[in-house]
Amino acid sequence: MKRREFLKLSAASVGALMLAPEGQALKLPNPLARAPRAWYEGEVSTVLTYCENCFWKCGVRASVADGRVWKVDGYEANPKSRGRLCPRGQGAVAQTYDPDRLKRPLIRVEGTARGDGKYREASWDEALSVIASGMLAIKERYGSESMAFFAHGSGDTWFGDYLPAAWATPNVGKPSVSLCTGPRETAAQWTFGRGIGGHEPIDWENTDYMVLIGHHIGEDTHNTQLQDFSLALKRGAKLVVVDPRFSVAASKADRWMPIRPGTDTALLLAWLHVLITEELYDKAYVERYTIGIDKLTEHVQPYTPEWAAPITDLDPDAIRAVARELAAHAPRAVLPPGRHTVWYGNDTQRMRAVYLINALLGNYGVEGGFYLAQPPYIEKYPHPAFPLEPASGGCSGASGAAAETIETGYRDAVDHGTFFAKTTAVQELIPAMITGEPYRIAGLVAYGVNLFHSIPDVERTKEALKKLDLYVAIDVLPMDHVMWADVILPEATYLERYDDLVEIAHKTPFIELRQPAVAPMWDTKPGWWIARELGHKLGLQEYFDWPDIETYLDKRLASIGSSLEQAKKVGTLVQRGRPYLTDWEQRNLDPFGTPSGKIELYSQTFADAGFDPMPTFEPPEEGPVGSYRLLYGRTPVHTFAKTQNNWVLMEMHGDNAVWIHPAEAKAQGLANGDYVWLENQDGVRDGPVAVFATERLRRDCVYLVHGFGHRAPDMKVANGRGASDTALMSRYRLDPISGGAGLRVNFVKLVPGAPRPRLPRLTRLAERSV
Amino acid sequence: MTSTTVTTFYGAVNNGAFWHWPTLLHFCLVALAGGVALLVAYRALTSERFGWRLPALSVALIALDMIVLWAESLARWRLTHVYLFLSIRPASAIWWGAWGLAGSAVLGLLLAFGWGPRRLWGALLVVTSTMALLYPGLALAANSARPLWTPLLLAFMPVTGLLLAWGLALLFRQRDLRPAVGVLALASGLLGGLYLVGLATGDLAAREGLHHLWSEGGPWFVAALAAMVLAPTLLRRYPAAAALLVVAGAVLARTLLVEIGAYMPPLL
Amino acid sequence: MARYAMAIDLSACVGCAACAVACKLENEVPPGVSRLWIRLEESGTFPDLSLQYRPEQCMQCADPPCVPVCPTGASHINEDGIVLVDAETCIACGACIAACPYGARYFDERGFVGKCTFCEHRLAEGRVPACVETCPTLCRSFGDLDDPDSDVSRAIRAAQRVDVLKPEQGTHPKLVYLNAPARFGLGREGMAR
Repeated sequence: MKRREFLKLSAASVGALMLAPEGQALKLPNPLARAPRAWYEGEVSTVLTYCENCFWKCGVRASVADGRVWKVDGYEANPKSRGRLCPRGQGAVAQTYDPDRLKRPLIRVEGTARGDGKYREASWDEALSVIASGMLAIKERYGSESMAFFAHGSGDTWFGDYLPAAWATPNVGKPSVSLCTGPRETAAQWTFGRGIGGHEPIDWENTDYMVLIGHHIGEDTHNTQLQDFSLALKRGAKLVVVDPRFSVAASKADRWMPIRPGTDTALLLAWLHVLITEELYDKAYVERYTIGIDKLTEHVQPYTPEWAAPITDLDPDAIRAVARELAAHAPRAVLPPGRHTVWYGNDTQRMRAVYLINALLGNYGVEGGFYLAQPPYIEKYPHPAFPLEPASGGCSGASGAAAETIETGYRDAVDHGTFFAKTTAVQELIPAMITGEPYRIAGLVAYGVNLFHSIPDVERTKEALKKLDLYVAIDVLPMDHVMWADVILPEATYLERYDDLVEIAHKTPFIELRQPAVAPMWDTKPGWWIARELGHKLGLQEYFDWPDIETYLDKRLASIGSSLEQAKKVGTLVQRGRPYLTDWEQRNLDPFGTPSGKIELYSQTFADAGFDPMPTFEPPEEGPVGSYRLLYGRTPVHTFAKTQNNWVLMEMHGDNAVWIHPAEAKAQGLANGDYVWLENQDGVRDGPVAVFATERLRRDCVYLVHGFGHRAPDMKVANGRGASDTALMSRYRLDPISGGAGLRVNFVKLVPGAPRPRLPRLTRLAERSV
Repeated sequence: MTSTTVTTFYGAVNNGAFWHWPTLLHFCLVALAGGVALLVAYRALTSERFGWRLPALSVALIALDMIVLWAESLARWRLTHVYLFLSIRPASAIWWGAWGLAGSAVLGLLLAFGWGPRRLWGALLVVTSTMALLYPGLALAANSARPLWTPLLLAFMPVTGLLLAWGLALLFRQRDLRPAVGVLALASGLLGGLYLVGLATGDLAAREGLHHLWSEGGPWFVAALAAMVLAPTLLRRYPAAAALLVVAGAVLARTLLVEIGAYMPPLL
Repeated sequence: MARYAMAIDLSACVGCAACAVACKLENEVPPGVSRLWIRLEESGTFPDLSLQYRPEQCMQCADPPCVPVCPTGASHINEDGIVLVDAETCIACGACIAACPYGARYFDERGFVGKCTFCEHRLAEGRVPACVETCPTLCRSFGDLDDPDSDVSRAIRAAQRVDVLKPEQGTHPKLVYLNAPARFGLGREGMAR
């Protein structure tokens, strides 16, 4: 008899003797003992909006009680969330009530230097007046193009597109382009004639075979994609994962290919070789929709699996087997593009190789492959024509067309001509702040971009900031780079504001409304209000003639026969799409926007511009002896460097550790949990950071989760936890086609003997929540 | 599988100590209160000269124990402890403990004031003080997921509890308790030894528990057992030293078992 | 009257912790303690590796050790088989915390013991628990075991493998794990039938 059962039995017999069953207490009216009232027990109202804790833009229902948002849930009728949310979306509400938020406008104390972090509080009027006079002085002295805008997030419609275009500067950078998706967008543009867009258009629900290359679904918790991926696996779709690290996705895979970092293109070329030489590709599709198969056939002859095997450190039979399996499942076999594709500087060519395989499988515009994502129809607000069109691109913005000079009456962006694509590259706008070449960038507005945790070569960025005439930061938190600005503007969090409508290109295109669930806390303001007020002070009234955002939104919604009132009730407005080639052919529409009107296996445009018209492999540069290639990635609970002050998310994952193979750790006398410094090839150090010895990584690289290592004393939760991979990226390799900054070209060694950081307990910090 | 499993967590794991030092103190004080109450009962039943001091002391000890418990309790301002007496929960050790202590306090007061039939009160006090002495072992042994809290504690806790109280009483001219203290001390040592043997010969969880006990304070536990075993040899010539030894041994052994014993082996 | 249960398909779970964050906010769980957390385990040697990401919470045992040890009856099983703590009669003695083999209970500084309630308040509105609703991998199923058509009944029937934690404790969990990776768990089957 089990011990507990014995005790229970003996107790029960005593109970029987007392002629009383086990039971609850006789309850007294005891006001002292009353259970605390839960938020959901009172009146709860629901506000439909969309999430901002990453940039996937899931539709959500915010639950409000007693003037406070308590909970955010997925919104069932929204095609992004389908009623579900990722951890970051669930936890976003904690940011609104973060006591460390920027609370009112701040102006740097006169006589202090940028980076000293000394500020005084100011009124909005004063802060905006200081900015306006600074901008107007720059325009007067250098021209309007000498103001740069860096923007990321939903508000980048105001600070990356609307205001810069009205003001007339082409120097607008979005990190989501050249530090993330640039290569895949440019490659897609010149292969298929359309970009990928913010929502990877993979037809997960019909695919039978998936190959992920450096694509960390699972650690990357883009909500819809994770749902689709999970459902595909549940359906029995086969999965191959190519990654130097045993990622979460790899753990779900039928085959993991632990490739040598930087050799992906060799693997892709070998797959092209097998598909072509074994004649496994979809001949009818290739014949009908592509050009250049002859040239490609000739091009891939040398790239046998046996050629690729020593380069990639993979088994040639495995390489061949995957190509054959891909073909066997085609067209319901797909190589998704991934998202962060700025790796080694030759990334557009690698992405081209990915797309060529997809094209040979005949899956583009076909069920089980890529669907054709259409943006929803809606008109812009009828403002007078801007002097310049927004051209920074973006996750879902314009993808890179050729860099041709268009006569606008304004100078080109300062990075014009340094690479092929037309979009700007945020990191390439920085040298002009230092050198003044080709002309000086004298002012910068940074909206929601963490300059020190996204752009490589942080020392260069700091040097550039020191040289500016005006540096303005608009943000929610006192991030590392924010506390360098001349003027700091505190933005309201997404739960407290309207934004412009967001147009999602999708299988079923849709429009989402951002609307406030509660009023802004403290003296914070929405981005639209800041842009409008600043516009007025800059003399740009004609572009900001709308009295308030409601009028602006209502006007736009009227163009599709809707209204703000209706949008507030439904949150998401779904339209019909044309996802497959057949949908286009029925309407006699050409789905491909390439110069040839077909999928370009061979790119004449690239050839003309002096680039390889078909992908080639460049071996990656090796690091110094005794160093490891620095790889980085995501944790499911954080978004870039944006969420490390969120106590709920930090309780899930509170710092990063440097992953290293146990044999390598042992050889250096390091054990799990030891603290080390990380020092890169240029002597740049960051840390201290804990060692995590794990079999999940190849021996030639180390791995850090991105976004930690904040050095921002006013962000009490984030400050000093973990190490920053960006700090260790003193180098990058420019992709000459997309302008992407290849970031996996840095090498670090582990320097033992670092002290364990003494930090306040997270629980104590969390209890400060307002 | 050659490599070991590496385990990490997302989120706070509720693995901190749930009972803190006031609870450890309580596990000694309740022994003292229960043991002294049993002594009161014994005197009430057997002694002709029965004063007010001893029962008053036993009530004071119960009160002290209650104050310690109350001070630690998160519910100290909520007056929910009243529900201990408004419910019938015979499967709960704490419920028995509550009634045992409350009954002992009432009987102690009656005896101190000399109200009512002394012998009846004494007889009832035997029951309530025994409940108070038994309950800690019952409360620990009920937790079958914690391998260091074995059923042997059903015996070990009351025996060491009584030893603690009566050993201390030796210092206060209760010379007739010497033989009893000697027996209790030997019994405690014996039970403690059996406890360790039981763990060593038990299942995987028991052996993991023993390993944990050993690494966290095993030598101290053995020293506590040794003190209790050695004490009887000193009882005749150095009764005060023997008393101090058994009290120290009992306090130490109980504290270690409550503190370290909360160990739960990691999940598979 | 129902017999609510939950099943978590470990072959789908990626350990993203959306459930844990949702639980934290839905139930105002204080900092430093959890009703739901994720255990991440890796095993094997490069390149022959395996991962298991396992959300853990109250197992909603059919035979819960935390209930009989409660001295006031605050810890109880409701008519739908959900193990609950009545905060108004809880004396925060910790007996149930000691008794729980799964570490699923904690002291709430406000003077009582907290634990998973299967989001009882949501069930009353016809919704599923917050962790089930939000899971982006759809690895959680919930419902009434007595209803053969409930999500949880179907998921358990379809599973190739069903595990419960610490079956030797005889607690008969109503939270079960489905399709655990071959390398993990001991293949111990058994649940509240």
